[in-house]
Amino acid sequence: MPIRQRLKVLLISELMLDMKEDDIGDDTPLFGPAGIGLDSVDALQLVVMIEKNFGYKMADQEQAKRVLHSVKTIVEALEKQPTA
Amino acid sequence: MSRSILITGANGALGLAIAEHFLTKEESCRVFLGVRERRERAQELAAQFPDRAELIALEVTSPEAWKSALSEIASKGVPLGVLINNAGFHDDALLANMTQNQWSRVLDANLNAVFHGCQAVLPVMMRERQGRIVNIASLSALHSPAGQTNYAAAKAGVIGLTQSLAKEAARMGITVNAVCPGYIEGGLPADWTPEHLKTLKMQLPMRRFAKPAEVAAAVFFLASHEASYITGSTLKIDGGML
Repeated sequence: MPIRQRLKVLLISELMLDMKEDDIGDDTPLFGPAGIGLDSVDALQLVVMIEKNFGYKMADQEQAKRVLHSVKTIVEALEKQPTA
Repeated sequence: MSRSILITGANGALGLAIAEHFLTKEESCRVFLGVRERRERAQELAAQFPDRAELIALEVTSPEAWKSALSEIASKGVPLGVLINNAGFHDDALLANMTQNQWSRVLDANLNAVFHGCQAVLPVMMRERQGRIVNIASLSALHSPAGQTNYAAAKAGVIGLTQSLAKEAARMGITVNAVCPGYIEGGLPADWTPEHLKTLKMQLPMRRFAKPAEVAAAVFFLASHEASYITGSTLKIDGGML
């Protein structure tokens, strides 16, 4: 399964979102009222979920804020990480 | 599924009763008895369950000690599923006479230690997407007796921490609850005279103190799978005192 799709499946299941994969646009902001509306607790879960499933560790909060903006930014970060 | 249980202050009457309850009622669990000193009674209990119970050195006010204890538990291969924050003590004085040291030590052992413990176990439980935290508060948090400004403030803080953390952890399958025991047999100050104990009992609706096992049973329930929708709760176990 492509990373983008796998990420959306994980977002829905891990964050218990009542939506379908197609409801999450690649560029849709994950946080705030203009987007999906995730909150700070979701952010914490996302960090753990991404590390657990993709082996990608956020260095600090600034990086997390940048990477977790949307599905697209997360996928870009995952694709940039060096493969073991 | 097997899980590890970490109980702090597992050398006192309540800590031992909680450990014994888990060991006898949940046969697949592994119990870690967190102790700093006075290890004898915990060692006796562990000796009765050699394959399932062991002591672990834990100074609850030290974040480094928590890190080391959790690393040791992780090395045993059974994921940590339950944390019982039970360690604590009181050092009573009227506020007018209370020293800074009395205030700080009681806040450190009863409130800051709970913060350190929760912060240490949270990443483990988040990865597993399940966990149970039960914080032992006290009836003193709810009725705030004179002479216990430090202890009452610390335990009220534990209730606030419990409620707030419960909201943060709810979606991760982690529940966080508090219990407020009243007087417990074996957990009363040694210098209380028989006359004082008799007077106290007369003031209680049940006219007796709690048995440690009665409090342990409630803690065990809150840590069970059956209690999966209970979080942020404060359960008083006081024989109807409040």
